[in-house]
Amino acid sequence: MAAERRASVTWKGDLRSGSGTIDEVGSGAFGPLDVSWDARSDESPGGKTSPEELIAAAHASCFSMALANGLAKAGNPPERLETSAVVTFVPGTGITKSALSVKAAVPGLDAEGFHAAAEDARKNCPVSQALAGVPEITLDASLDS
Amino acid sequence: MPRVVRQAAVAWEGSLSRGTGTATATSSGTFVLPIDLPSRITDKPGKTSPEELLAAAHAGCYSTSLAGEIARAGGTVQSLDVMCTITLDEVEGKGHLIVSSELDVRARAEGIDQAGLEQVARKADEGCTFSALIRASASVSVRAEIAS
Repeated sequence: MAAERRASVTWKGDLRSGSGTIDEVGSGAFGPLDVSWDARSDESPGGKTSPEELIAAAHASCFSMALANGLAKAGNPPERLETSAVVTFVPGTGITKSALSVKAAVPGLDAEGFHAAAEDARKNCPVSQALAGVPEITLDASLDS
Repeated sequence: MPRVVRQAAVAWEGSLSRGTGTATATSSGTFVLPIDLPSRITDKPGKTSPEELLAAAHAGCYSTSLAGEIARAGGTVQSLDVMCTITLDEVEGKGHLIVSSELDVRARAEGIDQAGLEQVARKADEGCTFSALIRASASVSVRAEIAS
């Protein structure tokens, strides 16, 4: 089983003064979304998404699913996971860090079991593996008591 | 160079197979998207998925890289259409992996021919931050043609 997922972008003009649009995605779930170099490289995104924000959304989503799977397989499906991913981009260098943090409500599980499952998801979810070249992929995991 | 930080958040409820989640673009506020497992692995994705978000990221990253390379080669970009297809597959002994990312480009540009475009399309792949990263688990391929 292979699942293909598709997205299309139109770019107009050069890098600095031009701009682009993520026109559509295969699922139809989002788009059009504007992108530009300024919005990507400025401290403030100015209301536009960027490759780094999309990577953050992909990483947080993939990690959450992997953790939900690991917990459920061990007999403790989560009531709720709240995950965020913060991706750091240094223009000229590249993506230097993805920092995951998760707050979880998991009935019947102790902190040790939870941290082991979270660390396994950090290491092994498909997006973490695809981003293995990122110098730092960190995790801050906490269990709601 | 300044560090640029972008954040997204996911809230997930329940197990993997039956649970559902929401992915939110925290930095820009541009999207709030439902996610679930069937949309990730079946043929009929009604919702987005990590792989679709990565496809959008790769198409976005590559298009900016190519716009820069065409200008550097003396061409003028009118428009670039970049489609990215990301494939998630089950690899024996390794579980699910992102195995490929395919970029398809149609370029409208002045001052560059098909051979020149193919050359800068390769350079843009080498210079694209995301292409470099995703090669940790996936092959990356680029097809580029001048739109007539």
